[in-house]
Parts: sequence; C-alpha cells; structure tokens
Amino acid sequence: MAFLDLDGLRFHVQRLAPQDAGPPAATVVLLHGLLTDSLASYYFTLAPVLAAAGAEVLMYDQRGHGRTGRPPTGYRLEDFADDLEALLDRLEVTGPVQLLGNSFGGTVAFALAARRPEQVAGILAIESEPASPAWAVKLDGILRRAETELVKKSTLAWVAAKRGRHTARLAGAAGRLLAETSLARDIPASRLPDEAELRAIRCPVLTVYGTRSDLAPQAGWLDGLLHDCRSVFVPGQEHSVLVETPDVVRELALSWLRERGVQLRGPGVDAVLTPGVDAVLTPAGPVR
Amino acid sequence: MTVSEQTTEPTTERHHPPTEQEVLGVIAGMLAAVLDEYGLDDSEVTMDARFTEDLELESIDLVTLAGQLRERWGDRINFAEFIAGMELDEIIALTVGRLVGYVVDRLQSAERS
Repeated sequence: MAFLDLDGLRFHVQRLAPQDAGPPAATVVLLHGLLTDSLASYYFTLAPVLAAAGAEVLMYDQRGHGRTGRPPTGYRLEDFADDLEALLDRLEVTGPVQLLGNSFGGTVAFALAARRPEQVAGILAIESEPASPAWAVKLDGILRRAETELVKKSTLAWVAAKRGRHTARLAGAAGRLLAETSLARDIPASRLPDEAELRAIRCPVLTVYGTRSDLAPQAGWLDGLLHDCRSVFVPGQEHSVLVETPDVVRELALSWLRERGVQLRGPGVDAVLTPGVDAVLTPAGPVR
Repeated sequence: MTVSEQTTEPTTERHHPPTEQEVLGVIAGMLAAVLDEYGLDDSEVTMDARFTEDLELESIDLVTLAGQLRERWGDRINFAEFIAGMELDEIIALTVGRLVGYVVDRLQSAERS
C-alpha cells in the first residue's frame, strides 16, 4: 500500500509499473469520480490492462474518497486540481501525461490541462465535462438532493430494494461523505474557467458519452470549443459507461493511446478493436 | 492506513507451500484488521463468506487486501489478475474460499516450477 502526505493530507496512491518492467510507453493518470467512486474502479479493470500494454499507471483516491484522508472542508474543484498538481510534482512526473477521467475525474483533468497545458499530452474523458456555470448549477442540484436523501434510512432501503444491497451500501457511504464534509456546498462554489481558458486546452481530447446520458447533447458544444476534441457515444448507456461497459472503455483507451503515438506493447495490444466494439460506437462531429 | 502488520506465520516448513487452512488463517487475519476498522464483527470469516455481501467490504478494501497479499506472498499473488475478467456480479459474489483456493494454487505451482 502506498500513502503519500501532500500538504498535510494523506493520499492513497497506487502506481503500476509496466508489467514487462521495461521503460514506460507513457504515463497514464486515472481519475475517479465523486461520492461513490474510488481508485478501485480502475485498479481491477483498466489499470492492469494498461500496465500490461507497457504504460506506467498512476491512480489515487481523491480527497474525501476511498482510503485518502477526509478533511471537513476544502472540496472546490481547484482543491482537487491542486492535489493532482502536488501529486505529479511529488512523484517527479515531469513529462506530459495522458489523463483519463470518469465523470468528475474528467473535470479535474480539464482543470489541470487549463493550468498546465505543457504537462498534459491528452485527455480521455468518460461521461464528463469541464467546469462551467451550467455544470455548477447541475452539480448543486444533484449534491443537495443527495445530501438530504442519502442519509435517510428510507431512501437507502429503497435503493437496496431496487438496485441491491451493494449499491445501497455505496449510497450510504456517499451520504456519510456529504454529511461529514462541505463537499456539497464547495463543488458548486468552485472557480469556473471561462471559455477563453478552456480554449487554451490544446491537447487532443476524446470524450465518451452514453447515448442516453444527459451529457451527450453537449458533445457538439465541447467539440466546437476545444482545439482538438471529438466524441464517441456508447449506445444504450446512461452515466455509468465505465462500470457498465468496461470492455468498450478498455478498447477505447488502448486505441486512443495508440492514436496519440504511444508505442504500446505486450500481448494483444496490436489486435484491432474487438469485433462488436467498433460497431457499437457512434462517431459524431467532425474529426479535426 | 492503520492496519497493523499481520504476524500470522505459516506453521509449515519453509519449503512446503501453506495448506488451505493456513492460507485461510492469514487472510482471515488481514480481513479482521479491515473489519475492525469498521467496527464490524470478524467472527464470520469462513470459506463461504462473501467479501461484499457477508463481510460488507467495499471495493477499495479489496485493493487494500490485494496489497497485503502481495506483501505477504510476493508478486506470485496478483489479486487484480485473479479477478480480471470477472463480471461485476461475480466480484460481488466472490467468496473467501475462492481467494484461498487461488492463493494455495499459485503457491503450489510456484513450488513446482
């Protein structure tokens, strides 16, 4: 287990070296989402695949989540971006990194790319978006509702009946995070980048949405705003693309890295997309 | 984290891979430390106990367990590799016994090679 003290907060960090012990083909940083998420979403799935393909993989539990410390306050987006900067500095990751973020993890990735464009080689954002006034309003609504609902026994019993005990337990843990911290009020109060700042993100970006996600309709806006951004859609999916379609995400991540010029290696990485995966993805928007 | 170092040593000689019972004892010790942090009862760590349904572990606890297994037995025990390819439902239904079986298997095949 690896713990790293960053500015007084203890972070749970997992770093996987390339499986063949050779030089890393790239450094990929995996960023998880809010509330029910942790680095465990990657540790058993995408991370070993990337390490087997010759990448160095860096993942950590974001503040308040997983096994990382939980300060009572300090949950604005800029705090999360500070954490990522401090982590990269502490681990002396100086070269450009590939960022892969799920949901809020992608929002953190965009924040870092706006701050340190030279350090980000590319972003793969799953069901995610950069922070914006609309994002803050939406998150405010979601978090307020979660804060009142997820501490109620009746809500958790309903979740258990509808979605199973496992999901109910995750929901209960999310309720405790919201009850113990100022996260629900801090996120909407984050400093929001204006469009000029977002346009400064020059690295290639691939965004992945579920076709049934409420985020999907904004793909065109983001593709147009960013210098080099395109989107793909996973049919039938809502927000849980990473959890529900791990095979699709795995293939997308490998082909995205290859496309970015990363020399992946190891068994199986030269294979074309798994039959079926290619067919289910719907490219949209002009590829620039 | 504050999980104390496990001190349970296999009682077999160095050159014999541990038995199922011994591996269960070590893993039960690791789980007891995690459960103790939650203030949960650890008396239910049996071969049939399911990590999430019965022991109420979260997936991040399995990451902790993976690290402890590796510290104890080295790179031969790769928890991530073990559950790679399992569906989420299968991971949720994973029992202590299945992990014990995997560890015993790996240590025995390391012995043979």
